[in-house]
Amino acid sequence: MNKNKSFLSRNKGILIFLAVMLVLPFIIGLFEGSNPVAVWNNQGTFSKHLEGIGIEIFILAIFALSYDLLFGVTGMMSFGHTMFFAVAAYTTGIALKSFGLPLWQVLLIIVGTSIVQAFLFSIVLPRVKGVTFTMVTLGMASMFHIIVMSSDMIKWTGADVGLQGVPKPAFIDPTIERLRFYVVALLILVLVYIFYKRFIDSPTGRVCVSIRENESRAKMLGYNTTIFKVVVMLIASFTASIAGVLHTLYQPIVSPTIADLGYTVTGLLIVLIGGIATQSGAIVGAFVIKLLDLALRGIMKDSAPLVTGVVYVIFVLFVPYGIVGSLKLGGFKIKQGWQMLLERFGLKKAMPKEE
Amino acid sequence: MTQKDIILETHNLTRYFGGLAAVDDVSIQIERNTLHAIIGPNGAGKTTLFNLISGVLKPTSGNVVYKGQDLTKLPVHRMIHMGLGRSFQITNIFPNLSAFENVRLAAQSMRGDNFKILRDPSKIEGCDDRSWDVLKQVGLFEKAMVPGRFLSHGDQRKLELGMILAPDPELLLLDEPTAGMAGEEVPELIDLIRAVQAQGSKTVLLVEHNMNVVMENADVITVMNHGKVLAEGKPAEIANNQEVQTAYLGGLYEIDVA
Repeated sequence: MNKNKSFLSRNKGILIFLAVMLVLPFIIGLFEGSNPVAVWNNQGTFSKHLEGIGIEIFILAIFALSYDLLFGVTGMMSFGHTMFFAVAAYTTGIALKSFGLPLWQVLLIIVGTSIVQAFLFSIVLPRVKGVTFTMVTLGMASMFHIIVMSSDMIKWTGADVGLQGVPKPAFIDPTIERLRFYVVALLILVLVYIFYKRFIDSPTGRVCVSIRENESRAKMLGYNTTIFKVVVMLIASFTASIAGVLHTLYQPIVSPTIADLGYTVTGLLIVLIGGIATQSGAIVGAFVIKLLDLALRGIMKDSAPLVTGVVYVIFVLFVPYGIVGSLKLGGFKIKQGWQMLLERFGLKKAMPKEE
Repeated sequence: MTQKDIILETHNLTRYFGGLAAVDDVSIQIERNTLHAIIGPNGAGKTTLFNLISGVLKPTSGNVVYKGQDLTKLPVHRMIHMGLGRSFQITNIFPNLSAFENVRLAAQSMRGDNFKILRDPSKIEGCDDRSWDVLKQVGLFEKAMVPGRFLSHGDQRKLELGMILAPDPELLLLDEPTAGMAGEEVPELIDLIRAVQAQGSKTVLLVEHNMNVVMENADVITVMNHGKVLAEGKPAEIANNQEVQTAYLGGLYEIDVA
């Protein structure tokens, strides 16, 4: 249908988003009284603070996008997705701190680790499905979490204190060159988004959707579904790893909570709130989660997660298609949405199985 | 029985479920360019035989040879690439994808562009055209953009047939294509199958419950009972076979040959 559309008109939404996000720090800067030149030189306090929040949101959005590709598009419900993120984050930290490697070498290592992990997850792919796959992925991620937390590894990972004092490459140091980091993170997010959109609408992506819809049928059509799943796993693993690298470069401490199940669930929540398999939903969801969290934390300090939890439950109950999904459908469609969610979580079959 | 062009044959195919031989030592041959029907009363082992041939079940012993290759050792996703299309008793489509996308996916699998991850699928050569042709053929052209789950049951069966036709297979394995269809829709679908078989010089293996359908349209009929082949021959021969009448209809009905 969108046969002869140009690159610009196809990606209008994300390009507008890019433009707005690029201009935003300068506009915010004007409100606090620092002129654009000051913002450019990273002198504005508030604009710098907001850029920091922006960076965190972009990282979350990249992570959520990769989770959505796995869960929302291909229908692989992984509970170990954060392992990709955490392994990249810790590898980056350790390589920079303990080995003093330059960033480009670190990135090469990350490419390697993401491929290895994707294959590690892929080994089990042809054997386990549904909830079993979820549990196996959870097990693998938990293993990494335990390794990170173990006191034997304290020299490398900092165990439960977290990895501290990672030297940041000067040209992208978030405390000095905050605006540059912000722009880099934003550009990576936009590139990942455009690539994902393209991928999901490619012949390969269409097959991935068919795997989610009815895997045995996809096999009967002549697709070796395992290979497609491995391809998706590779892409998702690499994307999540990029988010992990950015996380380490930005955060003063790499906390072990990112290796926890909770971080995967954050990704899942972002996807659910933004809208499953919508891509733009991952970005919207990341904004909502981060900003809501910040706002509530400001009001009620440590009891905020309790309230956010309740808000999310109510939201998913009544807006099953998420923000972007509901906008596209022009309504909440709660009943139909629940049917969809139950199918996605493997609790209900859309079509009876053969035999 | 000289010089038959056999496209698929089974050798002593047997499958046990526990102590029960659902399919017991069945050897059949399917000739190229024919419409071959397998009939039999409930529990005769038709569907089990079908599942053995189409690779859903593995046989306890015996094998299935398609164009000189043993099918029982082949992974499911390879079959279509060898020119084997199959449908099942239970409608099996992609419920949330449009009818067009259902067929398009079936057509795409044969084109070898499956891993061009940055390609626009509508630019795969001949893929969209083929899908539209097939949709026209099965009469779903107007409903091309309707998601599979919102189609009527009859239309879903047609869509299923379209998905089998899209890769242009040589041999079609159809398990009760008319199952659950409204009475007036049945002849339409059967005519369609017949037309596909005749025009495209394809071979069709049909498992069917509906006697009239089979008697009118099949070239060869295999009758099964208790997991064994009871009789095989042309519709007229089968209709006049006393043994078949007793087994299949308990001698209660006359088989009506139109």
